[in-house]
Amino acid sequence: MSPRRIVESAVANGIDLIAIADHNSVSMVDTMAEVALAMDLSFLYGMELQTREDIHLLAYFDDSASCHGLAQAIYPLLPDRPNEPTYFGDQVIVDKDEMIVGSEPKLLVNSLDLGFNEAVALVREHGGLPVPAHVDRDAYGLIAQLGFVPEGVTFDLVETLTGELPAGFGDAAAICSSDAHQPDQIGQRTTIFNMNGATICEMILAAQRVDGRSVTACTKERRMK
Amino acid sequence: MRLPEIIDRLSLSVLTPALGFDSDVTGGYCGDLLSHVLAKATKGDLWITIQHHANVVAVAQVAGIAAILIVDGRLPSEETLARAKDGKIVLLGTTESAFAIAARLHTLLAT
Repeated sequence: MSPRRIVESAVANGIDLIAIADHNSVSMVDTMAEVALAMDLSFLYGMELQTREDIHLLAYFDDSASCHGLAQAIYPLLPDRPNEPTYFGDQVIVDKDEMIVGSEPKLLVNSLDLGFNEAVALVREHGGLPVPAHVDRDAYGLIAQLGFVPEGVTFDLVETLTGELPAGFGDAAAICSSDAHQPDQIGQRTTIFNMNGATICEMILAAQRVDGRSVTACTKERRMK
Repeated sequence: MRLPEIIDRLSLSVLTPALGFDSDVTGGYCGDLLSHVLAKATKGDLWITIQHHANVVAVAQVAGIAAILIVDGRLPSEETLARAKDGKIVLLGTTESAFAIAARLHTLLAT
Protein backbone atom coordinates (compact mmCIF):
# COMPACT_ATOMS: atom_id res chain seq x y z
CA MET A 1 0.00 0.00 0.00
CA SER A 2 1.23 3.50 -0.79
CA PRO A 3 2.28 5.49 2.30
CA ARG A 4 0.49 8.60 1.09
CA ARG A 5 -2.69 6.70 0.30
CA ILE A 6 -2.71 5.13 3.77
CA VAL A 7 -2.35 8.48 5.48
CA GLU A 8 -4.94 10.17 3.23
CA SER A 9 -7.40 7.36 3.88
CA ALA A 10 -6.85 7.64 7.64
CA VAL A 11 -7.42 11.39 7.58
CA ALA A 12 -10.53 10.99 5.41
CA ASN A 13 -11.90 8.55 7.98
CA GLY A 14 -11.40 11.01 10.83
CA ILE A 15 -8.59 8.98 12.36
CA ASP A 16 -6.04 10.82 14.56
CA LEU A 17 -3.58 8.04 15.34
CA ILE A 18 -2.30 5.22 13.18
CA ALA A 19 0.14 2.41 13.75
CA ILE A 20 1.90 0.39 11.13
CA ALA A 21 2.26 -3.30 11.89
CA ASP A 22 3.63 -5.11 8.89
CA HIS A 23 4.05 -8.87 9.00
CA ASN A 24 7.37 -9.73 10.62
CA SER A 25 8.90 -6.56 9.15
CA VAL A 26 9.61 -2.93 10.00
CA SER A 27 11.11 -1.86 6.68
CA MET A 28 8.35 0.71 6.07
CA VAL A 29 7.97 2.20 9.55
CA ASP A 30 10.26 5.20 9.17
CA THR A 31 8.82 6.19 5.79
CA MET A 32 5.31 5.85 7.18
CA ALA A 33 6.24 7.93 10.24
CA GLU A 34 7.56 10.72 8.02
CA VAL A 35 4.47 10.79 5.80
CA ALA A 36 2.05 10.55 8.74
CA LEU A 37 3.70 13.26 10.81
CA ALA A 38 3.85 15.57 7.79
CA MET A 39 0.05 15.38 7.69
CA ASP A 40 -0.34 15.93 11.45
CA LEU A 41 -1.36 12.37 12.10
CA SER A 42 -0.07 10.82 15.31
CA PHE A 43 1.93 7.70 14.70
CA LEU A 44 3.10 4.57 16.50
CA TYR A 45 5.77 2.25 15.19
CA GLY A 46 4.86 -1.42 15.07
CA MET A 47 5.10 -4.92 13.74
CA GLU A 48 2.84 -7.95 13.61
CA LEU A 49 4.78 -11.03 14.64
CA GLN A 50 3.70 -14.54 13.66
CA THR A 51 4.75 -17.00 16.35
CA ARG A 52 5.61 -20.67 16.06
CA GLU A 53 1.98 -21.54 16.79
CA ASP A 54 0.82 -19.38 13.83
CA ILE A 55 -0.50 -16.77 16.28
CA HIS A 56 -0.40 -13.10 15.35
CA LEU A 57 0.95 -10.72 17.98
CA LEU A 58 1.04 -6.96 17.50
CA ALA A 59 3.92 -4.96 18.95
CA TYR A 60 3.69 -1.17 19.30
CA PHE A 61 6.53 1.25 20.05
CA ASP A 62 6.87 4.98 20.70
CA ASP A 63 10.16 5.29 18.81
CA SER A 64 11.93 3.94 15.77
CA ALA A 65 15.03 2.59 17.53
CA SER A 66 13.08 0.29 19.86
CA CYS A 67 10.96 -0.98 16.99
CA HIS A 68 14.04 -1.75 14.91
CA GLY A 69 15.61 -3.40 17.97
CA LEU A 70 12.81 -5.96 18.08
CA ALA A 71 12.99 -6.47 14.32
CA GLN A 72 16.71 -7.19 14.52
CA ALA A 73 16.11 -9.70 17.29
CA ILE A 74 13.44 -11.61 15.36
CA TYR A 75 14.93 -11.56 11.87
CA PRO A 76 17.22 -14.56 12.51
CA LEU A 77 14.16 -16.40 13.80
CA LEU A 78 12.36 -16.05 10.47
CA PRO A 79 13.04 -19.18 8.38
CA ASP A 80 15.39 -18.77 5.43
CA ARG A 81 12.68 -19.73 2.98
CA PRO A 82 12.74 -17.23 0.11
CA ASN A 83 9.63 -15.33 -0.93
CA GLU A 84 7.62 -16.60 -3.92
CA PRO A 85 6.19 -13.47 -5.54
CA THR A 86 3.72 -15.40 -7.69
CA TYR A 87 1.83 -16.48 -4.59
CA PHE A 88 2.76 -13.94 -1.93
CA GLY A 89 3.47 -10.71 -3.80
CA ASP A 90 6.78 -8.90 -4.15
CA GLN A 91 7.36 -7.70 -0.57
CA VAL A 92 8.64 -4.37 -1.90
CA ILE A 93 9.97 -1.53 0.18
CA VAL A 94 9.06 1.92 -1.13
CA ASP A 95 10.08 5.46 -0.22
CA LYS A 96 7.64 8.29 0.46
CA ASP A 97 7.40 8.98 -3.27
CA GLU A 98 6.41 5.35 -3.86
CA MET A 99 9.66 4.50 -5.62
CA ILE A 100 10.75 0.93 -4.98
CA VAL A 101 13.97 0.99 -3.00
CA GLY A 102 14.30 -2.68 -2.22
CA SER A 103 12.48 -5.87 -1.36
CA GLU A 104 12.58 -8.41 1.42
CA PRO A 105 14.07 -11.73 0.21
CA LYS A 106 12.80 -13.97 3.03
CA LEU A 107 9.14 -15.02 3.01
CA LEU A 108 7.49 -12.77 5.59
CA VAL A 109 4.19 -14.68 5.70
CA ASN A 110 5.82 -17.36 7.80
CA SER A 111 6.17 -18.24 11.45
CA LEU A 112 9.10 -17.16 13.55
CA ASP A 113 10.93 -19.82 15.49
CA LEU A 114 9.57 -18.22 18.64
CA GLY A 115 6.78 -19.36 20.93
CA PHE A 116 3.91 -17.06 21.85
CA ASN A 117 4.89 -16.47 25.49
CA GLU A 118 8.50 -15.87 24.48
CA ALA A 119 7.36 -13.41 21.81
CA VAL A 120 5.33 -11.44 24.35
CA ALA A 121 8.36 -11.25 26.65
CA LEU A 122 10.64 -10.23 23.80
CA VAL A 123 8.35 -7.37 22.78
CA ARG A 124 8.36 -6.05 26.35
CA GLU A 125 12.14 -6.49 26.65
CA HIS A 126 12.48 -4.14 23.68
CA GLY A 127 10.18 -1.56 25.25
CA GLY A 128 7.11 -2.40 23.21
CA LEU A 129 3.45 -2.97 23.98
CA PRO A 130 2.37 -6.51 23.05
CA VAL A 131 -1.25 -6.86 21.89
CA PRO A 132 -2.54 -10.24 20.70
CA ALA A 133 -4.11 -9.63 17.29
CA HIS A 134 -7.72 -10.42 16.29
CA VAL A 135 -8.12 -12.93 19.12
CA ASP A 136 -11.66 -13.74 17.98
CA ARG A 137 -10.67 -14.50 14.39
CA ASP A 138 -11.02 -18.12 13.25
CA ALA A 139 -7.42 -18.27 12.04
CA TYR A 140 -4.15 -16.82 13.34
CA GLY A 141 -5.80 -15.52 16.49
CA LEU A 142 -4.67 -16.67 19.93
CA ILE A 143 -7.93 -18.46 20.82
CA ALA A 144 -8.29 -20.27 17.47
CA GLN A 145 -4.69 -21.41 17.39
CA LEU A 146 -4.29 -22.46 21.04
CA GLY A 147 -7.86 -22.90 22.21
CA PHE A 148 -7.24 -20.87 25.36
CA VAL A 149 -5.22 -18.01 26.82
CA PRO A 150 -1.97 -19.52 28.07
CA GLU A 151 -0.76 -19.12 31.62
CA GLY A 152 2.07 -16.77 32.29
CA VAL A 153 0.96 -13.91 30.02
CA THR A 154 -1.24 -10.92 30.71
CA PHE A 155 -2.24 -8.09 28.45
CA ASP A 156 -3.47 -4.53 28.90
CA LEU A 157 -5.00 -4.42 25.44
CA VAL A 158 -6.39 -7.21 23.28
CA GLU A 159 -7.33 -6.71 19.65
CA THR A 160 -10.67 -8.10 18.51
CA LEU A 161 -12.82 -8.10 15.39
CA THR A 162 -16.05 -7.41 17.24
CA GLY A 163 -14.99 -5.12 20.10
CA GLU A 164 -16.11 -7.74 22.62
CA LEU A 165 -13.45 -9.25 24.84
CA PRO A 166 -13.56 -13.07 24.94
CA ALA A 167 -13.20 -14.89 28.27
CA GLY A 168 -9.77 -15.51 29.70
CA PHE A 169 -8.20 -12.07 29.32
CA GLY A 170 -8.87 -10.78 32.82
CA ASP A 171 -8.97 -6.98 33.07
CA ALA A 172 -7.66 -6.25 29.60
CA ALA A 173 -9.44 -3.75 27.38
CA ALA A 174 -10.65 -4.78 23.93
CA ILE A 175 -9.57 -2.71 20.97
CA CYS A 176 -10.47 -2.83 17.30
CA SER A 177 -8.28 -1.93 14.37
CA SER A 178 -8.70 -2.25 10.65
CA ASP A 179 -5.86 -4.71 9.97
CA ALA A 180 -6.06 -3.03 6.58
CA HIS A 181 -4.27 -4.80 3.75
CA GLN A 182 -5.94 -2.49 1.22
CA PRO A 183 -6.53 1.28 1.60
CA ASP A 184 -10.32 0.91 1.49
CA GLN A 185 -10.21 -1.23 4.62
CA ILE A 186 -8.83 1.65 6.68
CA GLY A 187 -11.45 2.94 9.11
CA GLN A 188 -13.55 -0.23 9.06
CA ARG A 189 -12.71 -0.85 12.70
CA THR A 190 -11.28 1.75 15.09
CA THR A 191 -10.75 2.45 18.76
CA ILE A 192 -11.31 5.66 20.67
CA PHE A 193 -8.61 6.26 23.24
CA ASN A 194 -9.44 8.97 25.76
CA MET A 195 -5.90 9.72 26.91
CA ASN A 196 -3.26 12.45 27.32
CA GLY A 197 -1.03 11.78 24.31
CA ALA A 198 -0.30 9.18 21.67
CA THR A 199 2.10 6.94 23.56
CA ILE A 200 2.00 3.32 24.60
CA CYS A 201 2.21 4.35 28.23
CA GLU A 202 -0.97 6.42 27.81
CA MET A 203 -2.64 3.51 26.02
CA ILE A 204 -1.92 1.29 29.02
CA LEU A 205 -3.26 3.93 31.44
CA ALA A 206 -6.37 4.25 29.26
CA ALA A 207 -6.85 0.48 29.36
CA GLN A 208 -6.64 0.69 33.16
CA ARG A 209 -9.05 3.64 33.22
CA VAL A 210 -6.64 5.78 35.26
CA ASP A 211 -7.82 9.35 36.01
CA GLY A 212 -10.72 9.41 33.61
CA ARG A 213 -8.95 7.81 30.65
CA SER A 214 -10.81 5.15 28.65
CA VAL A 215 -10.75 2.80 25.68
CA THR A 216 -13.78 2.21 23.45
CA ALA A 217 -13.58 -0.27 20.60
CA CYS A 218 -15.85 0.39 17.61
CA THR A 219 -16.75 -1.24 14.37
CA LYS A 220 -17.96 1.01 11.54
CA GLU A 221 -21.53 -0.18 12.04
CA ARG A 222 -21.48 0.79 15.69
CA ARG A 223 -19.92 4.18 14.96
CA MET A 224 -22.56 5.02 12.41
CA LYS A 225 -25.46 4.48 14.80
CA MET B 1 -2.20 -43.65 -6.75
CA ARG B 2 -4.40 -41.43 -8.93
CA LEU B 3 -6.59 -38.97 -7.05
CA PRO B 4 -9.93 -40.20 -8.48
CA GLU B 5 -9.26 -43.66 -7.07
CA ILE B 6 -8.43 -42.22 -3.65
CA ILE B 7 -11.59 -40.10 -3.70
CA ASP B 8 -13.60 -43.18 -4.54
CA ARG B 9 -11.98 -45.57 -2.07
CA LEU B 10 -12.12 -43.11 0.85
CA SER B 11 -15.58 -41.76 -0.07
CA LEU B 12 -14.37 -38.19 -0.14
CA SER B 13 -16.56 -35.26 -1.22
CA VAL B 14 -15.29 -33.10 -4.03
CA LEU B 15 -15.81 -29.48 -2.95
CA THR B 16 -14.45 -28.00 -6.19
CA PRO B 17 -16.36 -29.92 -8.86
CA ALA B 18 -15.44 -27.48 -11.62
CA LEU B 19 -11.80 -28.49 -11.40
CA GLY B 20 -10.26 -31.55 -12.99
CA PHE B 21 -8.71 -33.87 -10.45
CA ASP B 22 -6.63 -36.41 -12.23
CA SER B 23 -3.35 -35.86 -10.44
CA ASP B 24 -1.05 -38.39 -8.85
CA VAL B 25 -0.95 -38.69 -5.08
CA THR B 26 2.39 -39.91 -3.80
CA GLY B 27 2.01 -39.33 -0.09
CA GLY B 28 0.12 -37.51 2.62
CA TYR B 29 0.74 -34.81 5.17
CA CYS B 30 -1.30 -33.94 8.26
CA GLY B 31 -0.95 -30.42 9.57
CA ASP B 32 -2.91 -27.40 10.72
CA LEU B 33 -0.10 -24.91 11.19
CA LEU B 34 0.32 -23.47 7.73
CA SER B 35 3.90 -22.39 8.31
CA HIS B 36 4.77 -25.93 9.32
CA VAL B 37 3.04 -27.48 6.31
CA LEU B 38 4.88 -25.04 4.08
CA ALA B 39 8.16 -26.30 5.49
CA LYS B 40 7.39 -30.02 5.61
CA ALA B 41 4.89 -31.13 2.97
CA THR B 42 6.27 -32.53 -0.28
CA LYS B 43 5.04 -32.30 -3.86
CA GLY B 44 2.29 -34.82 -4.55
CA ASP B 45 1.11 -35.06 -0.95
CA LEU B 46 -2.57 -35.12 -0.08
CA TRP B 47 -2.77 -32.47 2.66
CA ILE B 48 -5.08 -33.40 5.52
CA THR B 49 -6.19 -30.45 7.63
CA ILE B 50 -8.99 -28.76 9.56
CA GLN B 51 -7.99 -25.36 8.18
CA HIS B 52 -10.49 -24.01 5.72
CA HIS B 53 -9.52 -20.37 5.35
CA ALA B 54 -8.31 -18.89 2.08
CA ASN B 55 -4.59 -18.99 2.91
CA VAL B 56 -4.54 -22.80 2.54
CA VAL B 57 -4.65 -22.35 -1.23
CA ALA B 58 -1.37 -20.42 -1.45
CA VAL B 59 0.34 -22.97 0.78
CA ALA B 60 -0.93 -25.82 -1.41
CA GLN B 61 0.28 -24.08 -4.54
CA VAL B 62 3.73 -23.37 -3.18
CA ALA B 63 4.19 -26.86 -1.76
CA GLY B 64 2.90 -28.63 -4.89
CA ILE B 65 0.19 -30.41 -2.96
CA ALA B 66 -2.00 -32.82 -4.95
CA ALA B 67 -5.20 -31.76 -3.16
CA ILE B 68 -6.39 -30.43 0.21
CA LEU B 69 -8.61 -32.71 2.29
CA ILE B 70 -10.61 -30.82 4.92
CA VAL B 71 -11.72 -33.10 7.74
CA ASP B 72 -14.38 -33.26 10.49
CA GLY B 73 -17.07 -32.16 8.08
CA ARG B 74 -15.72 -28.59 7.96
CA LEU B 75 -16.51 -26.66 4.82
CA PRO B 76 -14.36 -24.04 3.14
CA SER B 77 -15.52 -20.43 3.05
CA GLU B 78 -16.71 -18.84 -0.20
CA GLU B 79 -13.41 -17.00 -0.40
CA THR B 80 -11.46 -20.23 -0.06
CA LEU B 81 -13.54 -21.87 -2.78
CA ALA B 82 -13.02 -18.92 -5.10
CA ARG B 83 -9.27 -18.89 -4.52
CA ALA B 84 -9.07 -22.65 -4.98
CA LYS B 85 -10.88 -22.38 -8.30
CA ASP B 86 -8.54 -19.60 -9.49
CA GLY B 87 -5.47 -21.43 -8.26
CA LYS B 88 -6.66 -24.81 -9.60
CA ILE B 89 -6.31 -26.43 -6.20
CA VAL B 90 -8.70 -29.30 -5.57
CA LEU B 91 -10.55 -29.19 -2.25
CA LEU B 92 -11.94 -32.41 -0.82
CA GLY B 93 -13.98 -33.09 2.28
CA THR B 94 -14.71 -35.85 4.74
CA THR B 95 -16.68 -36.12 7.96
CA GLU B 96 -13.99 -38.36 9.40
CA SER B 97 -11.26 -37.09 11.71
CA ALA B 98 -7.71 -36.42 10.52
CA PHE B 99 -6.51 -39.47 12.46
CA ALA B 100 -9.05 -41.84 10.93
CA ILE B 101 -8.71 -40.66 7.34
CA ALA B 102 -4.92 -40.49 7.50
CA ALA B 103 -4.78 -44.09 8.68
CA ARG B 104 -6.98 -45.18 5.79
CA LEU B 105 -4.99 -43.17 3.27
CA HIS B 106 -1.73 -44.57 4.58
CA THR B 107 -3.02 -48.11 4.15
CA LEU B 108 -4.27 -47.33 0.68
CA LEU B 109 -0.97 -45.85 -0.47
CA ALA B 110 0.97 -48.75 1.00
CA THR B 111 -0.87 -51.33 -1.13
